[in-house]
Amino acid sequence: MTTFDNHRVTPWILLAPQLLVVAVFFFWPAFQALQQAFYVEDPFGLGRSFVWFDNFTRVLASPEYHRALGVTVAVGVGVAVGAMALALLLAVLADRVIRGARVYRSLLIWPYAVAPAVAGVLWMFLFDPGLGIVSHLLAGVGVRWDHHLHGDQALALVIIASIWKQMSYNFVFFLAGLQAIPRSLLEAAAIDAAGPWRRFWSITFPLLSPTTFFLLVMNSVYAFFETFGTIDATTAGGPGGATRTLVYKVYEDGVIGYDLGSSAAQSVILMLLVGLLTLIQFRYVERRVQY
Amino acid sequence: MATLKLTALEKTYPNGHRALHGIDLEIDDGEMVVVVGPSGCGKSTLLRCLAGLETISSGELAIAGQRVNELEPAARDIAMVFQNYALYPHMSVADNMGYALKNRGVPKPERRRRVAETASLLGLEALLERKPGQLSGGQRQRVAMGRAIVREPRVFLFDEPLSNLDAALRVQMRLEIRRLQKRLGITSVYVTHDQVEAMTLADRLVIMNGGRIEQVGTPLELYARPRTRFVAGFIGSPAMNFLEARVKDGEIIVGDGSVLAPAADIQGSIAVGIRPEHLRVVDAGEADLTARVEMLEPLGADTLAYCRVSGLSLPLVIRLDGGAALAEGQTLAVKLPLSRLHLFDLDSGERLPWHSPETSIV
Repeated sequence: MTTFDNHRVTPWILLAPQLLVVAVFFFWPAFQALQQAFYVEDPFGLGRSFVWFDNFTRVLASPEYHRALGVTVAVGVGVAVGAMALALLLAVLADRVIRGARVYRSLLIWPYAVAPAVAGVLWMFLFDPGLGIVSHLLAGVGVRWDHHLHGDQALALVIIASIWKQMSYNFVFFLAGLQAIPRSLLEAAAIDAAGPWRRFWSITFPLLSPTTFFLLVMNSVYAFFETFGTIDATTAGGPGGATRTLVYKVYEDGVIGYDLGSSAAQSVILMLLVGLLTLIQFRYVERRVQY
Repeated sequence: MATLKLTALEKTYPNGHRALHGIDLEIDDGEMVVVVGPSGCGKSTLLRCLAGLETISSGELAIAGQRVNELEPAARDIAMVFQNYALYPHMSVADNMGYALKNRGVPKPERRRRVAETASLLGLEALLERKPGQLSGGQRQRVAMGRAIVREPRVFLFDEPLSNLDAALRVQMRLEIRRLQKRLGITSVYVTHDQVEAMTLADRLVIMNGGRIEQVGTPLELYARPRTRFVAGFIGSPAMNFLEARVKDGEIIVGDGSVLAPAADIQGSIAVGIRPEHLRVVDAGEADLTARVEMLEPLGADTLAYCRVSGLSLPLVIRLDGGAALAEGQTLAVKLPLSRLHLFDLDSGERLPWHSPETSIV
């Protein structure tokens, strides 16, 4: 009987480290946020009052919040589509390389090892209106680049930097996916009179769909949450809120503005939003996936 | 339908490996040629060169008299059945079969009609809407065949199409492939390492070894008159026995000194080949050799006896009637019918010209 009892306890002991991490870094903060979302608290934490759904209604009614939602959608779509398309292109090209393939692939994976803030600063310098190489080149073709002034340029900068950062991650998965496709399928398609373009769209791309779907989920989550570091380093949400995403607004309102109740309500909404998005992706997109 | 002509075909890979050393071969219209050889002999490379999946380093490949070296696989009008079938897993059986037609711009109604026709030829009607993942090995094999047939190509190429099937199914599909090929009359090249498959399917056999053709001929020609020791050992199951022998004073002497036969024009050391099914167990008086049975393999209809002969390093395999009363450790008196002997040069492995004193049965 002792062994039986031990077997009931052992799994919990083995799971404990992971459960502890999840509990401390996810469930506890999430619960705190949920609780805080129903209170209004003074900046010094001296007193608070229960306000039911006031925080939520105020946030949802605020035009600033709507704008942040729009920015988030733009960043999300831009980053997910851009990072996946470019990564797929690079993976297809890298898949064909025979000589020096290993070096080539390693180099393409490097950006993933760069911290988001560093990546942000890197791109900020490249596009700096005074010092940047890219802005200098753009000036040569008549584009006046200043992301400190122009909201759309700032948004583009954030998206470009985020794409560059995420591309490596996508690249690794796409390359692995491509290499898992049996050579003979593409040879059969070549004999079946499909040119390279058609071969890619009718054979390779459908067979990659499990990878593509997985990356779509990962990239959406990345664009919603993890672009924070890049945004903070490059534009800090500016100019005039043009790059203020939902996550950045949570940070601004909570950490800078000390409006803890509103910030908590926003993070709860964000959590629900990402949960919903993932659910939709799994329910509807996954059906089209060819396994 | 078309003839195929290979002239001094060579393939050298970028890493310097020379896979094909000048292949010359002519294949008639509607003929089924089976290329057989051990792994690494270049047979798959040869097939891939025919398909256009590998570039040809030198020499010429002509289909129906027209040079096709530089043509893309699609432009050669060939169809290939792959070892792993290479069915598109995300397409239904019907789409798999219709893919080549679609790519060639065949209108939908005709596409559908041709797919349906081929499906009924192969008994696939009930499976058209399924995905390859929902099919058994034999069914997948059949779909792969269907995909090749539906296009009505000039040449069929088969790359070990049966090697992923279990033994019973392999025999069944072998017959089916033969039946279909005869019926459609399409020129075919079939690559395999299985010599039984090769013998049963081929109009003509091509034996390859080390990137070269060893011999070309009908299965029975190759069985009866192998041109080299390699071919002799490769064709026939169980393999031919080779006995070390020397020719002295115009006589062939085997093992510990038994005189086998007169041999006028030959000198020195040779290998005497004889097939297990041609050895005869006789009374002690008529015997050429005595062999001690070391192991028996009863196969039902036949029994294979692995015997030790003094003076010979290799065991002698004898194929005996399954009903024969035998025991391990027993000695057998063995006769080698002279008309069944094959003599090979020990160094070059070439067949030596020799007319046996008995009438030859070929």
